[in-house]
Formats: sequence, structure tokens, C-alpha cells
Amino acid sequence: MKQASLLLALAASALLAGCVQIQAPDKPIEINLNVNIKQEVVLTLKKDAEDLVNNNPELFPQ
Amino acid sequence: MTLSPKTLALAGAAILVVGAAGIAYAQSAGAVSAALSSGEVGEQADGYLGFRSTPSDELRDEVDAINIKRRDVYTKLATQRGVTVRDVAVTVGCETLQKRVAIGRSYLLTDGEWRTKGEDPIVLPAYCGQ
Repeated sequence: MKQASLLLALAASALLAGCVQIQAPDKPIEINLNVNIKQEVVLTLKKDAEDLVNNNPELFPQ
Repeated sequence: MTLSPKTLALAGAAILVVGAAGIAYAQSAGAVSAALSSGEVGEQADGYLGFRSTPSDELRDEVDAINIKRRDVYTKLATQRGVTVRDVAVTVGCETLQKRVAIGRSYLLTDGEWRTKGEDPIVLPAYCGQ
């Protein structure tokens, strides 16, 4: 019985910890286009985006 | 690797096609560049060009053509990286707002309000990171 309640407490705390972890890094940012943009994805793509702009000057007139 | 005459001919043809496209582009780019300078057209946070004021039909067509080509290259990169086209587009938006908007030119942030670039750097959307 004591073990069971200990397990339950462990499970509950694991669940809580899980919730916090999910919220912190993946918090979506709402912009007015109704799209959720993740900063993580943007950071991953930053170098690609830089190359894309530099390699297609005709699509990015000055 | 040795190049066969056929390969060379193909390469030559490709250069001609690209060259012709380049000339066609150069003719149409003038209007878009002028509209960028005047602030009538500007970069948007969504990775595309947009209109601050109502454009002529000709200008609209040219800007639309650029945006369609942009979407094509965004789509290719998105497929390669396994992300959405929108992810790529807004990342390019971060890049253009940060580096390619000269002083006096127009730009549109996510709040939907056109602004004119001043001396200070553009305050980028939070998702752009730093």
C-alpha cells in the first residue's frame, strides 16, 4: 500500500515535470498571420535562409 | 571525367537560357527596384514583397512574379529540411528585415503596419532570435 502511494506520487511528479518541459522550449509565438512560428525552427534555418537570399539575388532586388 | 560534345552543347544551351532569363529579369527589375526605393514596395516579415500603397497593374504583376519564384525556392528548401514552407519563408523574412532594408525603405512587421526604416535597426519579431 505504501509502495503504491509512493509510485503514484512519483508518477504524478513525473507528469508535472513533463508538462513544464513541454511548455518551456516549444512555446509557440502567435503572429497575426495565424501561424505558430517556433524560434527553434527559425534558428535551425537561419544559415539556409542566408544562403538562399545570397544565391538568388534576382528574387531579392535592392 | 571527360566532357562529350553533347554535354558541352547542353551546357552551352543552359548558359544561353539562363542568360536570356537574366536579360528578361533585368528589364523588369527596374520597376520593382524603383518601387523599393520610393517605399511603394517593401519586404514583409512573412518573407515576401508587399505593397504599401496600391500599385499599378504592371508593378503588381512583376512583384507577384518575384513572390511566386520566392515561394518555389522556399518550397524546395522546406522539402529538403522537412519543415513547412511558412517556416522557411518567415526565416527569410528575418534575414531580409535584418540585412536588406535600406534607410528610407518600407517594411512590414507581423502587426500588419508598414514602417519606414530609420537609422536604427529594425526591431525583429521575437521568433527571429538574435
